[in-house]
Amino acid sequence: MPSPFLTPSATADADGLALLQLRRDQIIPTILRTYDDENQGYLEGKVTNTRFGSFPHSTLIGKPWGSQIVASKVDTGSRGRRNTAKRKAEELEGSAASTPAEDEKPELKTAVAATSGFLHVLAPTPEAWTLSLPHRTQVVYTPDYSYILHRLRARPGSTVIEAGAGSGSFTHAAVRAVFNGYPETAQATKKRRLGKVCSFEFHEQRVGKVQAELKDHGLDGLVEVTHRDVYEDGFLLGDPKTGQSPKANAVFLDLPAPWLALKHLTRNPPSGESALDPLSPIYLCTFSPCLEQAERTIRTMRQLSWLNISMVEVAQRRIDVRRDRVGLDTEGVRGATLYPKTVDEAVDKLRSDEQRAKRIREHRANRENPDYQPIVEDLPAYKDAASDVPSYALGRLTHRTEPDLKTHTSYLVFAILPRDWSEEDEQRCRQEWPSEKIAKPDDKPVKSKKQMKKEAALERIRIREEKKQQERDGQAAGAGQTEGEVQPETTEAEIEKEVKFDEMTDA
Amino acid sequence: MHSFIRPNQFVAVKLPSDQTRIVKIVPDTIVSLGKYGNFAANQIIGRPLYFTFEILDSRDETGYQLRVVTATELHAETLLTEGEGEGDDVETGEDGVPMRTNRETIDERTTQKLTVEEIEELKKEAGGAGREIVAKLLESHTALDQKTAFSLAKYTLRKRKKYMKRFTVYPLDVSLLANFLLEERDASKSMELRDEHIGLIGCWGNVHHSGNVEVEPGMKPHGRYFIVDETGGLVVAAMAERMGILYPHDAEEDLEDEEESIPIKDENTEEAQDETAPKKRRIRPQPMSATTNTITVVHAYSQPNLSLLKYFGYDTNNPDESHPLHTHLKTISWMQLVDPSSDPLYSNEPPTLPAEELTELKQSKRTNYYHKRNRWERVKNVVDESRAGDFDGLVVSSLLDPASILKTLVPLLAGSAPIAIYSPTVESLVQLTDMYSTARRTAFIHRKREMEESTPEGETPDLSSLYEEFVVDPTLILPPTLQTSRIRPWQVLPGRTHPLMMGRGGAEGYLFHGIRVFPTAQNIQAAGNVRKRRKIDSGPTSTSTPISDRDVEIDVLV
Repeated sequence: MPSPFLTPSATADADGLALLQLRRDQIIPTILRTYDDENQGYLEGKVTNTRFGSFPHSTLIGKPWGSQIVASKVDTGSRGRRNTAKRKAEELEGSAASTPAEDEKPELKTAVAATSGFLHVLAPTPEAWTLSLPHRTQVVYTPDYSYILHRLRARPGSTVIEAGAGSGSFTHAAVRAVFNGYPETAQATKKRRLGKVCSFEFHEQRVGKVQAELKDHGLDGLVEVTHRDVYEDGFLLGDPKTGQSPKANAVFLDLPAPWLALKHLTRNPPSGESALDPLSPIYLCTFSPCLEQAERTIRTMRQLSWLNISMVEVAQRRIDVRRDRVGLDTEGVRGATLYPKTVDEAVDKLRSDEQRAKRIREHRANRENPDYQPIVEDLPAYKDAASDVPSYALGRLTHRTEPDLKTHTSYLVFAILPRDWSEEDEQRCRQEWPSEKIAKPDDKPVKSKKQMKKEAALERIRIREEKKQQERDGQAAGAGQTEGEVQPETTEAEIEKEVKFDEMTDA
Repeated sequence: MHSFIRPNQFVAVKLPSDQTRIVKIVPDTIVSLGKYGNFAANQIIGRPLYFTFEILDSRDETGYQLRVVTATELHAETLLTEGEGEGDDVETGEDGVPMRTNRETIDERTTQKLTVEEIEELKKEAGGAGREIVAKLLESHTALDQKTAFSLAKYTLRKRKKYMKRFTVYPLDVSLLANFLLEERDASKSMELRDEHIGLIGCWGNVHHSGNVEVEPGMKPHGRYFIVDETGGLVVAAMAERMGILYPHDAEEDLEDEEESIPIKDENTEEAQDETAPKKRRIRPQPMSATTNTITVVHAYSQPNLSLLKYFGYDTNNPDESHPLHTHLKTISWMQLVDPSSDPLYSNEPPTLPAEELTELKQSKRTNYYHKRNRWERVKNVVDESRAGDFDGLVVSSLLDPASILKTLVPLLAGSAPIAIYSPTVESLVQLTDMYSTARRTAFIHRKREMEESTPEGETPDLSSLYEEFVVDPTLILPPTLQTSRIRPWQVLPGRTHPLMMGRGGAEGYLFHGIRVFPTAQNIQAAGNVRKRRKIDSGPTSTSTPISDRDVEIDVLV
């Protein structure tokens, strides 16, 4: 099955993973089913219930990715009272005989009322999956894994070792980075390496969950999960001693003690075969929350001849964009600050307050008068500044860092191990590329295609002229008149003509 | 895979001074590293990458002049200090006061007893690629014993950078090129794009290889991306790297795509073979002919600026036909995309000549004819398929106003396709994010509904005034997110671990990302679903979009 992560079809298909986005950072992963696979007893078949309403899968399947889906009115209360066997039979009959829309006909009347909720059905990506996956361990988030995979040079066709698998967020991102074809559909004739992720995890239950997940996501041919304690048993696939080498190009260690695993990641491990690709440099990254772990890892790396060791931490921020409104005319506007926005407005307000107070005082004095009338309040000047700017465009556009900030995830230690280079390799190379062989230094600037054409044209003109000259010389020789012949100048137009001819023959 | 230094490949050479030079390794030539010396290119061709070489003062009998510096040697100093065990703490006396401080150090030049002349003399005489000079310098420093371990290390390092004749060869990949442009060239030309953002753009843009799935008729081809790039081709290179079409030796991976484009070529070659009868022609891949795993660059001038691709073996002026980018990189100008009829290349189809007329033409005329036909076909195919849309993603790093780009390109994206826009500064993206704000989206939905209700039944409402007020349709992208990321590098040495003291300032770099979605209102009409149509009939209160403010708060606020 092609994976919806890598080669999604145009619509949300049954039995594939779909991500239901409720709002930012609130995504529910679900496998779309035409039947009630968890036997929850809804009339509509499988239903996903969210805080924004219930969504029978029949309303999701077949929709183009990205569609907004309206919640349906689903009877969630009475289903326990119904006879399960009978309902199931009915449903099977229904789904076999008719389309889901018709199937739901009895529900339609009530569905009209359920208009206050909706969601969007999205095709899975490693980013969305990272936000929605069931947490088993600390998750490696997008700002970290995007940087790590870029620095690890995890490209189509690479093999990446990952230990441990954890919650699988890095696994999904890594398999997208190295993917360049499914092994089942690859043709044997092609000499081409298919990208692969070899994932190691020592927690048996997590291994099972990751494997089930990858199968559901159509990634089981691209990721090989091994249940293994890599500190002890290294990184060979299958049997820890005699197994096959994954021939990895890049390694990501998300382990509490990466230095204990490093001894298995050498070119010539004492235990036998190396897990590394003998023909390529190896890019390594370790992911440790504490400085002590990182220091110790680096010490071991130096002893094991890793090069370009560097340590960084990734600081990422998400930014909220808002409109800040301040002003005395914002009374009753949500989120606005009722406060003068300028000195003028402050003065206006003080002045009008003062005038009002004065009027009240005067009024109070002649309250006893028979012709007393209550004060007619007129709207202060600063309030009736009605503008035709729509409310969404009012106020000053501002941005600030989102309220909850992840300030530290882990220290990332990167290192590179060049390929092995033996004396024989060097001798072979010296024979192929003898160092005493030096061409004449080529001072000529590189010519453009156009210039080369022009020069070729000039050359042809020259040869033609020479021929003519020779002919003339031959004729002139008898007359003894070789000297003093005027060389015909080659004109621009001639060159142009030649170049054009050239272009035509080239094309 | 970068496994060894290939002839005629661009590599980056790092010098002891931390400078990087980009060098094309041409066989049988001399590579000059300025004051660090020269070496023969043949002496590093075929050798592994990431090796550090030392230029020796004398050649051996075969003329070989380089020595590979082992990792142990490179790490010698740190390994030694680490070997001393816990001694890497600050040395303390009996009462816990640090024994050696910089209290007594003399801040003047007289402590170095070697004069400039003497050093110059040493440079001429001394062999051993500068190691002797450094040793001599250390020897004749009178105040060496006053230095703390830290300052001694710093002093040695400084002197070594100055005199050691070493260099390290790195493969020229996107990450290295980006850092090179940032540190050694005009950073603003590459929009100060850093590794962090290259990674983020690629991930949020969901850019990846489209695999080996056969595209059957009626199926949507995979992996078509729109890119708007004004960094000189750095973003295109970064995305091509993720898609496996950047490096020429990855070419063997793209056999199947060439097969796909054969039908077009067949016509030409068959016709051509009519007169060149038995002579078998090499099938030349037509440029921009791939159907999957492609990049479509939209550019503002008549030609895109993708000059940086030359470092990866693809010169846009003189393209190498065997390079994967030749077929997988398509270019289209904004005019061709928005208003193709204004482009003579697109609208003026060169007349087709019948075969018998062709055979009568002169060779040059005939090639010219094919040249024009092929060019027109190429432009037409690219324009038509671009305008047909259904792209899998949009990646932007452009000087153009982002809203104007999204206005044009978002409708051409497939559902759930990601959008990732990079900008060195935040202002333009803040404005863009505001265009997708909840308040604006709600206002748009209300306004649109009002307009639709005020138009009589059966007529399509005139929404042009709506799009005057709203530059972009705010209901097409969810959830609009603004993000920035920056790494902090550390120095990790025994007892001397701390963040680096100096870093690069300049633009912070921001990323806007979201996902293309379809609002329901459109779907109802398009799909003709019974249930949903009924909801329209029942009046405005039952349409999918939220009516009350409370609904907006809960559902649209994403």
